[in-house]
Amino acid sequence: MWNRLLISTLSMALFSGAALAEDGAFSAGSEAKEFGLQEEEKALFSGKVVDVTCELTGDCPDNCGDGNRIMGVVRDADQKLILVLKNAQFSFNGPVADLLPYCNQQVDVDGLLIGDPETYAAKFYMVQRIKAADASEWKRANQWTAAWNAANPEAAAKEGPWFRKDPRVLKQIEATGYFGLGHKADKTYALENE
Amino acid sequence: MKLSSTLTNGLGALAVSLGLSAMFVPPSPAHASAKAVEIKGEVIDTWCYFSGVMGGEDAVVGSAHHTCALWCAAGGIPVGVRTDEGDVYMVLKYEGADVLEQTDTIMEIQSDVITAKGLHYVRDGVNYLVVETVVANDGIQVLNHLDYGSVPPNSFPENYLGEQ
Repeated sequence: MWNRLLISTLSMALFSGAALAEDGAFSAGSEAKEFGLQEEEKALFSGKVVDVTCELTGDCPDNCGDGNRIMGVVRDADQKLILVLKNAQFSFNGPVADLLPYCNQQVDVDGLLIGDPETYAAKFYMVQRIKAADASEWKRANQWTAAWNAANPEAAAKEGPWFRKDPRVLKQIEATGYFGLGHKADKTYALENE
Repeated sequence: MKLSSTLTNGLGALAVSLGLSAMFVPPSPAHASAKAVEIKGEVIDTWCYFSGVMGGEDAVVGSAHHTCALWCAAGGIPVGVRTDEGDVYMVLKYEGADVLEQTDTIMEIQSDVITAKGLHYVRDGVNYLVVETVVANDGIQVLNHLDYGSVPPNSFPENYLGEQ
């Protein structure tokens, strides 16, 4: 239980922005919200939204794969492909619903670069807001839930956050339990931690 | 985690050191070159792993983090394969399907240790993998829920026994 308490406390500390973001090469002008994530840096930059699979392999379907592919931004300043892992929502939401409308377009993005470059030779991006390069208004990068609701109307009509009613998640938990080891392991854990 | 910059500096030597079976695939001038590889590693949720949002690396893998890995995979966060050496390969495609397709396939392997054959690309320090075939699935090997419980804690029902 102490481990659970420690992790819970740590998570709350991280989400409360306990540590401030460091300044990085692209931090000027950024209005990104800080979360105290691993080696986070505010980052505002311009670039082109891309389908990463297309960018690397040359296999390029229409519309960046219609949401089925991971996406990134090729940064104008250095032509680096910045892989986007996360949008601005807080419920395990990826960035594709926010990036797809800008497939192969020039954009400005604002968010956080995260990850320790001393242990992994790249940083990854959390996009918090986005706009077309010639637009004046920013859009908050929070489109994931609306896209999920549209794709899962029956589940969306039920109460609770999406991840507690997502059909694919529920199917796996039903099959192998919360730890993925079978329901017996779940029950043993529950009994030992009552 | 191991410095991935080494990958860009000596792919042949690295392939040998990692025990990867490598075969050169001619590069397209407009795109990154690829190597045929065989990779063994755990299927992970890359956001929690790299961001540290839920604690250290040891806590955000394995059985402890399994339900959260399901949530993140369903949420469209890129899925990775983490080797014992600490290298992480971002999965682009999995056995012919784009990785974010709304199928059960990518869900079924979360937290499992798999051995996959495929194509390895490197761009700007990031490893990417097109998984062509999975030659072995050893299931979940890291039983860290015994140490960490469920990570995050709310990924296991508070009233599990009452719900049964």
